[in-house]
Order: sequence, then structure tokens, then C-alpha cells
Amino acid sequence: MARVVDVNLLRKIKQHGAGSTLDVSACFNCGNCTAVCPLAADSAGFPRRMIRMAQVGMEQELLASEDLWRCYACGECTQTCPRKADPAEFMAAARSYAIGRFDFTGLAAIANRSAIGNLLIFAAFSAVFSALLLSKMNPAGPQLPLFSFLPGQWIHDIGVILFAVVGLSALFGVASMGVRFWTQRRGEGVALSFTALPGAVFTALSDALTHRRFRECDGEQQSPPALEEPWHQRPWVVHATVMGGFLAMLLATTLDFMLKPIGSPAPPWYPMRILGLVGGIVCLYGLSIVLLRRAQGKHTPYTKSSFADWFFPILLTVTVVTGILCEVVVYLPSPSTFGHAMFFTHVVLAMDLVAMLPLTKFAHVLYRTLALVLFAWRHAPARVTASVGAEI
Amino acid sequence: MNTQIDSNYRPDALIVGGGIAGLQSALDLADQGLQVLVVERQSSIGGHMIALSKVYPTLDCASCITTPKMSAAAHHPNMQILTNTEVEAIESRDGAHQVRLLQKPTYVNFDKCIGCRLCEYACDTEYPDPFEEGLGAVRAIAVPFTNAIPQKAVLDAGHCGTCGTCARVCPTGAIEFDQQPRHLTIRTDAVIVASGFQLNALTVKPQFNAHRSRNIIAPITLERLLAPHGPYGRVLRPSDGKMPSSIAFVQCAGSRDESIGVPYCSRVCCMYSIKQAMLLSGALPLADITIYYMDIRAFGKGYEQFYQNAKAMGINFVRGKVARIHPVDGGDLAVQVESTENAETPMELRRHDLVVLAQGMIPGWMPADSTPVACASDGFVATPALTAPTATTAPGIFVAGTAAGPKDIVDTIAEAGAAAMQASQYLYQKRSALVAV
Repeated sequence: MARVVDVNLLRKIKQHGAGSTLDVSACFNCGNCTAVCPLAADSAGFPRRMIRMAQVGMEQELLASEDLWRCYACGECTQTCPRKADPAEFMAAARSYAIGRFDFTGLAAIANRSAIGNLLIFAAFSAVFSALLLSKMNPAGPQLPLFSFLPGQWIHDIGVILFAVVGLSALFGVASMGVRFWTQRRGEGVALSFTALPGAVFTALSDALTHRRFRECDGEQQSPPALEEPWHQRPWVVHATVMGGFLAMLLATTLDFMLKPIGSPAPPWYPMRILGLVGGIVCLYGLSIVLLRRAQGKHTPYTKSSFADWFFPILLTVTVVTGILCEVVVYLPSPSTFGHAMFFTHVVLAMDLVAMLPLTKFAHVLYRTLALVLFAWRHAPARVTASVGAEI
Repeated sequence: MNTQIDSNYRPDALIVGGGIAGLQSALDLADQGLQVLVVERQSSIGGHMIALSKVYPTLDCASCITTPKMSAAAHHPNMQILTNTEVEAIESRDGAHQVRLLQKPTYVNFDKCIGCRLCEYACDTEYPDPFEEGLGAVRAIAVPFTNAIPQKAVLDAGHCGTCGTCARVCPTGAIEFDQQPRHLTIRTDAVIVASGFQLNALTVKPQFNAHRSRNIIAPITLERLLAPHGPYGRVLRPSDGKMPSSIAFVQCAGSRDESIGVPYCSRVCCMYSIKQAMLLSGALPLADITIYYMDIRAFGKGYEQFYQNAKAMGINFVRGKVARIHPVDGGDLAVQVESTENAETPMELRRHDLVVLAQGMIPGWMPADSTPVACASDGFVATPALTAPTATTAPGIFVAGTAAGPKDIVDTIAEAGAAAMQASQYLYQKRSALVAV
């Protein structure tokens, strides 16, 4: 099979790294990073092989690799790297690069590479959603209930169209990675059986929900322990709170739309309201740890932060905060201008969040999940690997 | 303690360090008729080399090369040696150097001691022998080791029980319990810094768990195990005295690693590990020997052939930097490494019963704090002039051997000769200038 080598690959990936400090060219492939990694043990797939692929320009191999997304950036490799080549930051930069390559609009590449590009895209989306909302806004004073101020049906209609468009875009991204994986592994002689796929999906989803792999990455079993944070600040716990809280809010919003007429009043003990509020608070806890750690810049995996690393958690935080404020506003004696402003902002930001899913770090929900599926699929018991020795 | 030398003694050159570099420089200067004083921190001259078993790439006996040089130095009419003595400071003015020395008490009068060892035989206090890297025992008062020079007993105050037996049995009354540290200032025209190296601590990388297993050893410990006059006379592992059947050498365990602050290559580790592997396959013909390496740096004359010979002898070379070493049952060790040239089982945990960490060389003494000699960023003495590699930043002070950077014995001896030549040229020019005036 002919191999196309991209001589600029390493340079392009470096543009996605946090700051100019990523010096992965210093890597001399000693293998320390892979050997020290708590997750690489079963395949030796990363980080060294990923870095090697980038160094020699094997873009197809790099993007086709599910291993790229199996790393949770515990930072052990960076701490012990004899060349200070920062393999963990390389992995993050390569994932950011991959998000750009999987997105067919080209917007993700811009958003992940430059802060200005990211902000411009964000501003453009916000302007579009604001304009759409303003077009049907009821300006009849601050006394109106929230869903009369912005018609609930209109929000719903925009939402449905938005989900359809983003869903298609996400599908394209997922297919882009999946096809690369398929071509590459078939080329390597890995036999993939479709009967094993449902099992792999189940394994991957349960891994994602239970954070089983992420917990292995914790470094606690290692000697000496890699991380000394208390349990409630461990990276996997923090991620679980953000993810769990987000899923709770998503579920609450969806059920609310499905079970209850839009905008109809509900008492404070209404289960969906409580679920959403608790989810929001749990999510905010995790986000506050993430933002604090990024600001401190001392704890792995938060030592280095690119603009994209900041953008997604901040966007999510502001969305959640405005959402919680809306919940409060509903029970104030009379809806105020402040309440209307919060509601407007929340709806625009929530739409931004969805619209930018394939463009920001949010995209990891697609690619990491897919990578877990592909990994489980590839290593399913039914697989038959073509023996290299048999060909000779 | 040698009290013959006092501040009236004015040598032409003072050599800091009595290892192979210092001795070579001193002999080369003394042979030219110059008066030389060698200052050694330890109780015997000979440095690290006298403790080695054999040297690469010829597999010559190390002490067979070192002992004659030590002996020649001890008996040279133009040479004086101060052991147990440290250089506190060097002050240089108008090309002359005032070297402040601190002589530590040995509690034995060297003028009276005849090296008969009656005190050593009578002493009933023993402690782990530092010369044998703690594997054997030594008496609290003893001649430091068999072929030590000077052959004078030294009392270790930290372990002595002051029972007085040694003083009673000494035929010459040499034991002096009341000795005090002695300060001494020597004026000289030239100084050669040959202060050598020390090895990075075994525990410098916590991932290797060296503090949790006695079977993770330093290469200098293996040298003693391999030496014919070593602690056991054969190779046994420290924890239980078992004859090891699978030995791992972990290269770059204390150098070429920015995470421990030693980014430079220690130069000698590849070659000494190959040499030790060869000697081990002679001592333990049935043992499996594996060297884990990043790349083999066989840089000198005949070295590449030496490496190829080792491969042909059946020593395993596995390319990959060891990331962790886990103590496992039975005192054995599991080595965690990515075998980067093995696509089949790259991440297999490999079990060994003895692991040797190739520690890196770090400076033995940092003269920059107390002398006019500047050190480079790696801590070794700076040698800024490319055309005068033994010249330091201070006029009249020269450097030789591993004080200037990691190097092997061959290069050290060559450099020591060069430093001596530079020093004698400096002395000659200085004195002919005086005569001319």
C-alpha cells in the first residue's frame, strides 16, 4: 500500500499545543512514556508510537488510531520524560488536531488553533442565535413570563433544526474517524467481525459511564503514586461530576420538554426541576475544580492550557450558571429585566454549546466514545489476527 | 595524620585529588623535577579506579594499573601526599595560589604507624565496609583496604567504642585519641583540579524503587562483587546471597534524563555495563544477562568491537528506557519497559533477580563556591578554551579527568598528562619571566 507522508504534520500539530513550550521534536523515542503509562500496558500504542507517527508524518495512521483517544492525560509520561518533550501535551495537541481534521466545515481547525478564530466563531454563532430569538421576542415589558418573552415553541423549533444540523456534522466527524480506522486496520490485516460490534458498544458505553479506564489512569496503583490529590479532586472524579451533572441536566431538560407543556408553571419540588438543579450544582463543582487547577497550572493534567482548553469549561460554566439563575428567577414575585436577560443569555449560550460541539473540546464525547468502541471491537475475543509469520 | 608538612612547605604544584587523574598529573610533573603536593579527601589515594575489577576494552586488571602508579607516587622523591585532607578554599593573587586545607584527624600518628595492623586485629568493633560498598565489614580502626596507600591505620570516630585496646596493642604508640582537625595553608604556583566524580544516588528516580530492594545495586557494587579480592570472592546478590541467574542492566538510570536534572550523557555507562556483562557471563556462565538501553554509545578506540563481541557472547540488548522497577516476591524484580524493537510483546514485564542501575556521573566537588574556578551549567569545571581543554577560567589552575566532565579512564589519563604539560609550561614561563626581570 502506498503511504502518503505529510512532512508538515509535526509542525501542524504543534500549532494546536498549549503555548510555544511543546517541544516534542526533542523526543528520541526511548519508550519511557509508553512503559510508564498506566493505560498503554496492553497495546504499547501510545504515547511513543503516536509521537513517532507525527515525527515521520504518518497522518493516516495517527488519525486512524483509537489509541490517541484512550489517553486521559494523567501526565505521568510528561513528569518522567527524559527529554522534557511533554508527551501528555503532545497527545492533547494531536487530539485537538484530529478534531480539526474530522470536522468537514474546517471551522474546528480554526477554533482549535487560534483564540481569535475561536472567539470569532463563537461571536458569529451567538449573533445568529440572538438574531433568531430577537426576531420573535415579545418586548412587552418585564412583567411577561419567560416563555412568553421568548416563545417556547420558537426556541423548540430552532433547537430541533440545530440538533439536526449538529447531529449530521457529528455523524460526519464520527464517520471520518471510523472510516480511517476501518481502512487502516483492514490494511494491517486485523479481522473485524460485525457480530462483535454490539458487545463492543456495550463495553465502551459502560466504560465511559463508570470511568473504568479513567480510574486506571489515576496512578494510585503505581509505586510511588503519581497523584496525591484527595479523592474528590482526582481527575476522574472531577470528570465524572462534570459529565454526570451535564447528563442530569440534559435528561431533565429533555423530559421537561416531553412531559410538560412548554412554559407551564411547575412547583419547586417538580422532579425534573430538582434533577436539573442538582445536576447543575454537581457539574459546577467539577467545573470549578477544572478552572481552579487550570489557573494554578501545577497539577496534571491541567499544567498547560491552550485557549481551547479554557474556552469549553468556561462556556459550560456560564451556561450552567445562567441556567440556575433562570430557575431562581422563575420563583421571584415578578419576572424582572434581569430575569429576561439571564434567560436570553442562557438560551443563546446553550445553543452555542450545541452548535460548537463538533468544534470545541466538547467533541471528545464523540471521538473518545467511538475510540472506546473501536478499541473494544478490535480486542473483542472473536477477532482473528492475520499472522505475520504465516505470510513469510 | 601526616604532620610533616606545614605551611613552610612550598610545592611548585598542588594537585586536588589523588585518583587516577591526580596521580598521573602529579607523576608527570614530579618526573620533570618539580615539587608536587597531592591532596586527597579519602584515607587512601587511588580514587574510584582502585576499587574497580577490570577495565574496558582490554579487560586488564584495574588494580594492576593503579597500584604501580599509587606506589610510584608514594615513593617519588619530588612528591608529598596528604590524605584525609580537604581543600577549603583557594585564593589566587598575581598568579600565586594560597590553598587552605583542612586535615581531618585519623587518631593515628602517621610518623609512628608502621602499618603492622595489630590494632586492626585487636579491635572488636566492625561496621559495613565503605570500600566494599557496605557488603563486607571493616574494623573501627583499620588500614582502609589491602592495597591502600599510605599503609597506615585510620580510626573511624563514628564507630569507635574508645575501649583503648588499639592503643594498648600498638607497638609504636601511634594511637592519639586527642588529635584535632588541623588547618593548613599551602602557597603554590600552579594547581591542578582532579577532584573526580561521584555517582548519582540510586534513589534519584523514585520509579526504580531502589530504596525498597537490596537487589537493585550500583555498578560500583557490582565491580566489588566481580573483583577477585571483593567481599565474597564471587557474585552473590545482596539480599539473600543467592547466585543470580538473571541480571538486568538499566542504562541511563541517572543521566540523560531531564526529569532528574542530569540532561548530559555520562559517557562511560554503556561501556562499563558491557564490560560487567562480559565479566558476569564469565563468573556466572548460566546466567541470562540483559542490557536495557536507549542507544549504545561505544565511542572509543576498539569500543564498537567490544560491543559487538558482547552481542556475540549472547548478552541480550533490549532497546527501551526502563520506566519502573517493581520489587516482587522472592526478592526478585520486575522491570517495566517498552521494548521498542519488539512488535510482538513490547510491554512484557520482565523478571530479574538482580538489577544494576547505570548511575550517572555528577561532579565530586564544586570548586566555584570557594575558589576562582568557574563551573559550567552542568556543575563540572568549566573549560572555556577549545584549544586548551585543561585550562580553567583561573590562570594557573588547570583541570584533569572527570572533574571537567564525565569521561573514561583512557581519556582521563590522556587529559591528566595534558594538564601536567600545561601546568609545567605555565610554571616555566612564569619563572623565566621572573629571571628576565
